[in-house]
Formats: sequence, structure tokens, C-alpha cells
Amino acid sequence: MRAMIRFGKEPRLRFISHLDLQRFFQRALNRTGLPIAYTQGFNPHPVMSFGSALALGWTSEYEILDIKLSVPMGRKRTEEAMRSALPEDLPVLETRMVDDRHPAPMAQVKASDYRITLPEARVEAFHRALAAFSQMDSVKAVRKTKSGEKEIDIRPLALQMEPTKTGLWARLSLTEKCTLKPDLWLDALAGLVGEPPVEARIHRLCLLGMDAEGALKPLMEL
Amino acid sequence: MTLSDRIESLLMRVQKPARYMGGEFNAVMKDPDKVDVRFAFLFPDTYEVGMSHLGMKILYHAVNRLDYAWCERVFSPWVDMADLMRENGIPLFSIESRTPVRAFDILGVTLQYEMSYTNILDALDLAGIPLRAEDRHEGPFIVVGGPCAFNPEPLAPFVDLVALGDGEEETVQLVETYRAWKASGADRAEFLRMASRIRGIYVPSFYDVRYNEDGTVAAVTPKPGTDAPQVVYKAMVRDLDAASYPDKLIVPYNEVVHNRIMLEIFRGCTRGCRFCQAGMIYRPVRERSLDELMAIAEKLVDATGYDEISLMSLSSGDYSCLPELAHQMVEKFAQRRVRISLPSQRIDNVLTETLRETQKVKKTALTLAPEAGTQRLRDVINKGVTEEDLMRAVSDAFNEGWSAVKLYFMIGLPTETDQDVLGIADLARKVRECYFRVPKDRRAPGLRITVSASVFVPKNFTPFQWTAQLDEATVVRRQRMLLEELKKVKGVDFKYHDMSTSYMEAVLARGDRRTADALERAFRLGCRMDGWSDQYRHDLWLRAFEEVGLDPSFYANRVRNLDEVLPWDHLDAGVSKAFLVREWKKAEAGETTRDCRKGCVGCGVNRYEEAKTCGQ
Repeated sequence: MRAMIRFGKEPRLRFISHLDLQRFFQRALNRTGLPIAYTQGFNPHPVMSFGSALALGWTSEYEILDIKLSVPMGRKRTEEAMRSALPEDLPVLETRMVDDRHPAPMAQVKASDYRITLPEARVEAFHRALAAFSQMDSVKAVRKTKSGEKEIDIRPLALQMEPTKTGLWARLSLTEKCTLKPDLWLDALAGLVGEPPVEARIHRLCLLGMDAEGALKPLMEL
Repeated sequence: MTLSDRIESLLMRVQKPARYMGGEFNAVMKDPDKVDVRFAFLFPDTYEVGMSHLGMKILYHAVNRLDYAWCERVFSPWVDMADLMRENGIPLFSIESRTPVRAFDILGVTLQYEMSYTNILDALDLAGIPLRAEDRHEGPFIVVGGPCAFNPEPLAPFVDLVALGDGEEETVQLVETYRAWKASGADRAEFLRMASRIRGIYVPSFYDVRYNEDGTVAAVTPKPGTDAPQVVYKAMVRDLDAASYPDKLIVPYNEVVHNRIMLEIFRGCTRGCRFCQAGMIYRPVRERSLDELMAIAEKLVDATGYDEISLMSLSSGDYSCLPELAHQMVEKFAQRRVRISLPSQRIDNVLTETLRETQKVKKTALTLAPEAGTQRLRDVINKGVTEEDLMRAVSDAFNEGWSAVKLYFMIGLPTETDQDVLGIADLARKVRECYFRVPKDRRAPGLRITVSASVFVPKNFTPFQWTAQLDEATVVRRQRMLLEELKKVKGVDFKYHDMSTSYMEAVLARGDRRTADALERAFRLGCRMDGWSDQYRHDLWLRAFEEVGLDPSFYANRVRNLDEVLPWDHLDAGVSKAFLVREWKKAEAGETTRDCRKGCVGCGVNRYEEAKTCGQ
């Protein structure tokens, strides 16, 4: 049996790196007293995975921790145990018990929704940039990867977007091969209207996967 | 914008922002309106170093157990953050509530090493607190404690109080006294008077220091009307089982130096190594009982989720029922995948049994500290181990599947000759031979021998407090000589320290009150984070001493007469001066002193009520 736990990352803890968060959860799981399944081998560690890594400095209300239990447990007890082992700035928001055969969240993720908060003085310019971006068929941007720099067309990766009072809302592609990170997108937007790069607050609202009909749906509901 | 928002706005721009983040699991949060005393505990180094320090955890817990007090943590911001804070007018703040340090009632500072002193001045400056106590008419009282507090004179003008000895009870008494003083509405001077009546509390401003023409101290005497004692005796916890120990530990998010449960199994040491300040000032030995340790360990594993427990003390192999403890620990926690580790292993214990227990879970490098390369010099420093002990320990370890050994030595010990230093290479060679004597199918592959040689720094309250630090030219020559010699031994990694930091450490360790001016000058010239070799500016330190007209070699390289008044003679660290003199004379004669578990050696600690049965 597995438990999918949706948790949030509040502003105070936005500087925990993904690697540190993984280590943190190993210890947190030890504190829960839950019957966590461990890997075999010389250096056993809890069987756990995450929906998608969150970049340093971002906040979220849709992080997913997927853990394997060696003994079936109730949803409520699992959620309570998790809550007691986490600080208030990593709130447990939702728990779902799934069968071992349920696909790993990481393999399901197709897109992510973001709320982007911009400095007040910059909002108007980015709204203009957004309008221009929406009209274009192709927007080239340089993505830095481990193997070097690569020019890609980011236009099709921005699936949906809207201006908001404090900045932007966007649904951006998030798959192993085609990911558009909001910071790269913001740089491209700034470039379109000749603006300097912006320091924005990025908040993940949702992780989405695809249902049988090919529609994007929140991961916890798939 | 709130202070917290302003701090947040800097964090995207600094290295390792998690250092300043807070919000860790088990961090103590209280309502500031519901406490009477707010205590800021400054560890004057980075978060990663400070969060690895057991003493801070103990005192944090001890103060936070009081419902009327709230202890929060403060660390030195790294230089990038410190600069940004200055540029943006952000004062030094506490981690938990992000309150400016100057708004606290008490600022406690732990003195773990001399090279953190400029960080203390940097912290006061960043906090907007005047550096000198005489210039402060409001804001927190500054109290320093920890091992270096046994010579606080270089810091005397900057601090209000010095807490000598064990801190658990003393700190709580200080907080209680503060609360009573605050309620009384009396002036600041009255708090100092009230605090000076607490055992272990020394108020530097209550004492006059007079000097002789040759620059040595003539006398340190209480000022008339202060009622301050002639001699300040250290605070001492009688029974560790009854003393406060954390039942929760803060679990940092980022990796800190020691990220595990630290379990202090006993305090003090009976060995009597003559170079070792800790071995002198933490006397007498007090053990925690096995039952108490097991109970604490279980609580901490539950509360933290850590997968490693480190058994801490000055000489863990000396714990009276170590095999039983190791056995019970492994038994109890192996199922929960918790490893047990024993740091600072000594070479003269019957290790094998314990090794067998601990290695069930994990194998780390075997760390041994022969300290000196020849038996003659080991006798001088009273390191009661022989080459035979060392070889037996190493052979046992290799036979049990260890393949990594770390050997710690010092260069510049009193009476050292070139032959003693060459003896280090000789030992490394013999350790290597031990490994190859183990049959190939039994030994673990990949022998690694690390030889680490630090520069000896004579410390106050040790039998070597009268001796000179070896001059730089000789130290450097011997380091090079050893480097060449070790190149001939295959598979040895040699690590040694830069002399200049050890020199300044020697100056401050035995500095008098006048060195405070040099310290302040060094800080003004830009010295900070001196313990980090990439930050240390020896040139600025030398300039600072020159500018205030002091010769650092007067403190580092001068042999003191036995009848000289030492700058810390008005403080009592437990061991008597007569004992230290006796030990110094025996050292010069190459005579050893037994481990006092085998019979009292008359160190003088039983002058204390709490230790009066010691040695009987």
C-alpha cells in the first residue's frame, strides 16, 4: 500500500533545497512511527518519491510525497502521523491511500500551475508582454541544462496563461522532456518588451496529469 | 516592511540562505508577551558550525524549560550576508522570531575557540550594541561562557558577565536573577552585583588590573565597594543524571557539521594529558548512568528521527560500562536502523568488543590521537599510551574490517626535538605495516592513513601555561621535514595547519586585558571569521597589535616564571595551581602521572563541595 501526501511549502521554508528536503523527509518519516517500507541492500532507506522537485526560493501548495507502507494503514491515521512529524511551514493538505500498482506521481506529471507575483511597478509591462507572447506562434529561448545550453521553442510549452492583479497565472508544461520553468518564461516575457529581468515570487498551485480522455487533471484526483 | 520581510528580501542573494531561515522541527516558539526574560544565545560562527555544538543544545533546552523565559538562537552571518545586512540597515536578529538582538534581555555567547572573538565584536556591531560595556546604558547584558571563558581577559571590556564552569544550573540561576532584578526596577549596576553572587559568575568590571614595568600583571584585585570575591570559583554540576538534558533537538534542514543525536555520556576526564585544557577545566569526572542514557536516547530518537547517535565525552572509551552501553544501544536501536558511533577514540582501550558492536551498523574511520611521535615526548605530555597500545588498537581494527585510520599529532610540544617529529612518520609506517600483516582475505581493501598535525597552542589552566609556543621558523621547518618524510610512506595523506592562526590563538589564549585593544583594532581593520583560513588576515592582526603598541610574542613566545601573576589567577577552574606547577615540573623531568581513576593525584578539584568525595 502507498500513501500520496500533498503538502505545502510556506514562504519561510522556501530555501530548503530539494536534496535537503529529501533528507528531511527521511528523518520525518522516522518520527511518524508509521510502518514505512525500506529499500533492501547495504544502506536501506525509506521507499519514497516526490511529484516534482521545487526550485529553491519557490513556495507551493501542491507538493506530493509518495511513500510505501509495509503494513496497510488508514488514511486518517497516516495523515495524523505525518502532520505530527512536520513543522507548520510544511503543512499536510491532503492524503490519499493508493494501491502499489498506482503509477508513481513523478511519471504522471504533465503540467504545473503557478501563481507569479510581480513587483507592483512591473505588473503592467508583463501584462503587455503576455499579450504579445499569446499572439506569437513560436518563441525561442535558451535553456541551460547539465549538458550545456540549448535553444528551444517555449511557446507550445506555455499551455495556458492569464494576467492577474498581482502578476500572472500560468499553466506550464512539466514533463521529463519538455519543461518550461516559470523563471525562464518570465525572462522571455521581459525580453519581448525590452524589460530587464524581474525578481518574482513563484508559487506552485497545482501539479497536473492526464486522465484517460486526455484532459489535464490535478494529480491527487487521477 | 517588517524586519522579517526585509531579511527575506536578502536571502535570494546570499549563499546557503537556509542558514538564516529558521522554522526547523523542534525549534522552540513562545509568545513574547508571555515571557519575562528573553535570552539570545549567540554561537559566534556559522549556523552549520553552531548547530553542531552540544553545549548550545543543552542550554537552549535548559532555559526554554522555564515558562517565563524564551531562549532563541543567533549565529554569525557569513560575510556575504553581514555585508548585505550593513548595506540595508538590517540588525543582527534571532533565528526563531527574527527579533533584533538588541531587544533581548540577555545575550549569551559561547566561547569555544579564540579565533571567534572578532565575530563577537562583529555581532555586537551588527546588532547596534556599543562594543564596550561602559558605553552601554540599555539593551541586553552580555554574558560569555564556555572553555575560553577561563581566560576572558581579552574580552573583558566588551562583556558584562563571565560564566565559569558547567552552564546548566548557572545559566538558569542567571535568568532567575535577571527576572528578580527586572521586577525590582533597580539600576544596571545592581544587576551586576546580584549576578556576582551566583557561583561561577565573574564580573570583569569589578576588578582592577595593575601591571609591572616589564608588562607582566602585578595584581588583579576587586574594586572597593563592589563586594566582589578575591577568587571566582567555577560552577559545578554535581550529578549529571539530575542535570537538565534536552529531550528534543532541533533538526536542521541543511547539512550541518554534526547532524545526529549527541549523547554526552560523561563530563570530565581522568587522564591528565598536560596539553589538554578540556581535561583540566571539566574536572571532576561525572558519568550519566546507563539507564538515564538509554532513556534519553529513546526520547531523542523518537523526537528527531535521526538515524545516528554519537556517544560524546572527552574520552568515551573510559566510560565505566562502555561495552554494556554499546551492547544495549545496538540491541535497542538496530531494528530502527539507528547507528551508534564513538568519536575521539583513544588508543589504549580494549576496543575490540565495542568495535564489534558498533560495526554491526556502520564502519567509519578509526580515529586515534597519539599526539606525539616518540615515547619520550608522550611521557612529557602525559599521554599515557605506548606504541604497543597503538599497534594493538590498529591491528584489532584492521582485523575487524577497518581500513581507514586517522592519526592526530601536534607539532611544537614542550621539549620537542626533530627526532620526535620524525617519530610521527615512523608511527605511520608501522601502522601501514600492521595493515599488511593482516591476511589479504581478511582485511578490507583500500588502506587510508591520514596523519594530521596541528601546531601546539599552550593554554591557560594547563601545566603548560607557563611555556612558550615554538617559534614560527622552527615549526615551519619541522612541518616540511615531516612532509618530506611522510612522502616516503605510501598511502599516507598528510594534513597540517598554517602556523599564523595558531600563533594568534596562542596570543589570545593567554592574553591579558590590554589585548582587548588589539582585538578591537583588528576588528576595526576588518578581521572576522578568523577561524576560516580563507578569511583570516594575519597581516591585519599584526598591524592591530602594532597600532596599539603591544608585542604579540610577549604573549605567545615568552616563558613565564612560576611566580608570575597570570592574567587568570583570580579565577578558579577546579584544578589547583600547586597541581599545575607539580605537573609542569614532572613534564620537564619526563615523568608521567597516573590516570586518577587508578588513585587520586591531588589535582585539587575536591576543594569543591560538589566534588569532595572525588578521589576517595
